Amino acid sequence: MSKKLKVVSAAAGIVLATTALAVLPATAAVNASTASSAASFGGLDNLIKAAKKEGALNLIATPRDWANYGDAMDIMTKAFGIKINSDNPDGSSAQEIAAIRTTKNMDKMPDVVDIGLSHVAEGAGLFANYRVQTWNSIPKAWKSPVGNWYGGYTGSIALCYDSSVTPAPTSIAGLDNPAYKGMFAIQGDPTAAQQALISVFAVAVAKGGSVKNIQPGIDFFHKLKASGIFVPVTANATAFASGSFKIDLTWDYNVTGFIAQAKTIGKTVKCTYPKDALVAGTPYVLAINKTAPHPAAARLWEELMFSMKNGKLAADLTAADLALPGSQLFSLVMGGQNVYISGGASPITVASMTDKVSPPTALIVPTGLPQSVLPSLAQQTVATNILKTAWPKI
Amino acid sequence: MKQKLNISNYIVLLAATAFFVFPLIAAFEFSLRSNQGKSHDWSNYQWILHEPGFRTNLGVSMRLALLTAVAVLVLMVPTIVYLHLGGARWKRLVEFVCLVPLVVPVISFALGVGTAFPTFLQSTVYELSFLYVIISLPYTYRALDVGLSSIPLLTLVEASRASGATMRQTLVFVVIPTIRSAVNGAVFLAVALSLGEFTLAVLLHWDTFPTWIANVSQGHILNAIALSVLSLVGAWVVVMIFALAPKSLRSSKSQEATS
Amino acid sequence: MSQTITKRTDAPKPGVGPLHFANRLGSLKSLIPLLPFFAFIAYFLVFPLTFIFRDAFLSNDGKFTFENFAQCFQGVYGHSFYVSIRLSIISAAIGAVAGALIASAIVKTGTRSRRAVAATASVLANTGGVPLAFMFLAGFGTEGLVTKALKALGWNIYGGSFTLFSASGIILVYSFFQIPLMVLIYSPALENVKPEWREASDSLGGNRLTYFLRITVPLLFPAFLSTALLLFANSFSAYATARAMTSGTLPLMPLLIGNLVDGNVIANQEHLGHAMAVCMVGVSIIVMSIYLLVLKFSKVKR
Repeated sequence: MSKKLKVVSAAAGIVLATTALAVLPATAAVNASTASSAASFGGLDNLIKAAKKEGALNLIATPRDWANYGDAMDIMTKAFGIKINSDNPDGSSAQEIAAIRTTKNMDKMPDVVDIGLSHVAEGAGLFANYRVQTWNSIPKAWKSPVGNWYGGYTGSIALCYDSSVTPAPTSIAGLDNPAYKGMFAIQGDPTAAQQALISVFAVAVAKGGSVKNIQPGIDFFHKLKASGIFVPVTANATAFASGSFKIDLTWDYNVTGFIAQAKTIGKTVKCTYPKDALVAGTPYVLAINKTAPHPAAARLWEELMFSMKNGKLAADLTAADLALPGSQLFSLVMGGQNVYISGGASPITVASMTDKVSPPTALIVPTGLPQSVLPSLAQQTVATNILKTAWPKI
Repeated sequence: MKQKLNISNYIVLLAATAFFVFPLIAAFEFSLRSNQGKSHDWSNYQWILHEPGFRTNLGVSMRLALLTAVAVLVLMVPTIVYLHLGGARWKRLVEFVCLVPLVVPVISFALGVGTAFPTFLQSTVYELSFLYVIISLPYTYRALDVGLSSIPLLTLVEASRASGATMRQTLVFVVIPTIRSAVNGAVFLAVALSLGEFTLAVLLHWDTFPTWIANVSQGHILNAIALSVLSLVGAWVVVMIFALAPKSLRSSKSQEATS
Repeated sequence: MSQTITKRTDAPKPGVGPLHFANRLGSLKSLIPLLPFFAFIAYFLVFPLTFIFRDAFLSNDGKFTFENFAQCFQGVYGHSFYVSIRLSIISAAIGAVAGALIASAIVKTGTRSRRAVAATASVLANTGGVPLAFMFLAGFGTEGLVTKALKALGWNIYGGSFTLFSASGIILVYSFFQIPLMVLIYSPALENVKPEWREASDSLGGNRLTYFLRITVPLLFPAFLSTALLLFANSFSAYATARAMTSGTLPLMPLLIGNLVDGNVIANQEHLGHAMAVCMVGVSIIVMSIYLLVLKFSKVKR
């Protein structure tokens, strides 16, 4: 070949190659199961396309009125056409991990989990590495360095009571009042339920203890039980309906749901932060199943839950909105971090959020709240071991 | 045979009725509340009937109950009859085996099932039927065992065979009708258990009527209560239909041993 | 019921079928008719349980260990044996006696009503968990229908220190399914106590007490005891009701296992949970052995 022809054909070859390379990412099949960020899909649009194709998302142990997950589920369905399969809403973190282990290769395998921090170590090998777009806004302490788990939200303990109770309780220490006989309960066994465990911390702090010393809390429970004020019933809606308790300690983000439920049976419930303790729990952690049956939908869900945008809820989306291309529609909807706020929770990225919705007004915030404390996982473990023996003896 | 009840019988029955009926009435009254507790009507029940998934999930549970009942009969009746006739040396082993499902916690059992069973078995909801047979074993075994222990089985079988009947004929026309009430008890228990079983279905991620109830009544406490009353009453209606069905619908050779 | 088995001296009739009397066959041959049953059990019960059994002996890194079982007998776990067994014995006793009384009344009524009671009892025997807790609390709780009615009549059942959320309260709630279970399973035994025997006893000069002690009790004792054993196991493994009504203040074995393998707080201790499950089966083996000894002893006494 002549030199000129060589140069021309080389140039043509280079042009062809670069064009091919430019076209390739859009047409090559992306393995959603190994995608470690939206960029692996070639952008949010492609992630949304892939998720829409999958069309479904398997959630587990995610009640609708828990931190207002219901609104997020509705957005997922209305905006992106993804059907939510909600398995076992009242399930525990242990059940979620067990579900991943026992439903291998089945369609009903959970795609994502929302578990307590204590169970992360147990499930770490089961989760996929995926960094959401807002990764850098998640505090270092609450995410795994490789990205296979990240805290989503946290909450603090609030005091709820039937409005017919007089005098209206305002503090934990003030529960020691014969007028409250047979009324006070917590959300179950502190060695089994996270809410109950952190409630014990709250009582300890209120009675002069701390996150390192829960003994004053245990002693106070003992006193309340002896005088019949503390009732060892699990403080769920059913127990409330039967009148088994009238005052309880619960996550602040479950307050809206509880008040709404009480209303349906004609009771008015008021909730407030106790004046003598503001104890937050460690964040609940979101993670993606490595072998999720709907990997793209799972990743879209995480992107949604960690989006900090203030936008529209499912009911407000118009037909014009729905016709928008994926990433534009995504910017239009309310991000999960704001959905958490509307549910009463504190989203993990709260420090970086610029456009926050208002928290629900139902929760009364008294003036002069004490400093917020958060028992670390290690402190929780110490407390749990103490409670294993001490709690049955209260 | 109908006998006369004496005064202590009446007292006992009265106390029993009060004990069992009052909680049911209380729950029922609750389920009728509506409009934030200001009035009583059937709205909580009507809501259930119109909820999508009511028929499907009820159907699933009823099919499971039917399959469980059939499996229990086919598996247990011949086994226990045999144990009483000639296999007596194995009775203690079978008795113990039939008690194990009751003492193993359901959570642990579900974990074992989830780990052990192959995917093809875990992909059908009917795996639950076999598991329900297992967990109803303590009750069905005991019901049939007590029933068979209280009849002169050997005499009946000997008499029947001496009269020229085959073993099969003896079983079908003599033994089973004689233990009718025990067989009824065993079947009722298996059916009631299948219709109301929740934990195993949840832990194995199946949608049955009880799990559907729990899902759909999230956040709606009145509906949740109405649904649990409904499933209790529903199960009761199903077994009552079988219990009070006219004789012609059941075996025509059915004889009550004590009437 | 002392029937003697007359040994057949003639050859079995052709076409009689495989159900020969076992004393004519070798012991293994007598197992053959039970093979379908045992095969079913082996796959659907034993097979899943082998994983639990195996895991009970493993540590978190997969090594063989007895440590899990050592822990079972210490601290709150060791204490739970006592709490569970004691509660179950009392619950079984109450259920058995009350159930037997009710059954003896029911048995005197007609066939149809007996069947209706059996159907009702089977449904009641299967109540449990949160629905049962709610029903009971709605009826007998501090704001329950019955409580309010009794208060109107002047009797405040909660005036003292009684509470439903204690061991005694749980036993009361358990009775809601224990008693129907007893009635359901024990009734067929009662049905075969013939009234003619009572007449025979009377005509021979016996009074009600001798009839009861000499005829009814020996006759019904095995059925009574075996059903009571079932009630014991039923109460021993009951989980959801106690969980909803005691918030962990009552350390029952199933609840502790739930905390270990099924909770939101404790993680990485499933092996201990499995060991506890194996211990529960162990307890039932011991209880069953005692039951069999008692049966044997009562037969010798006669």
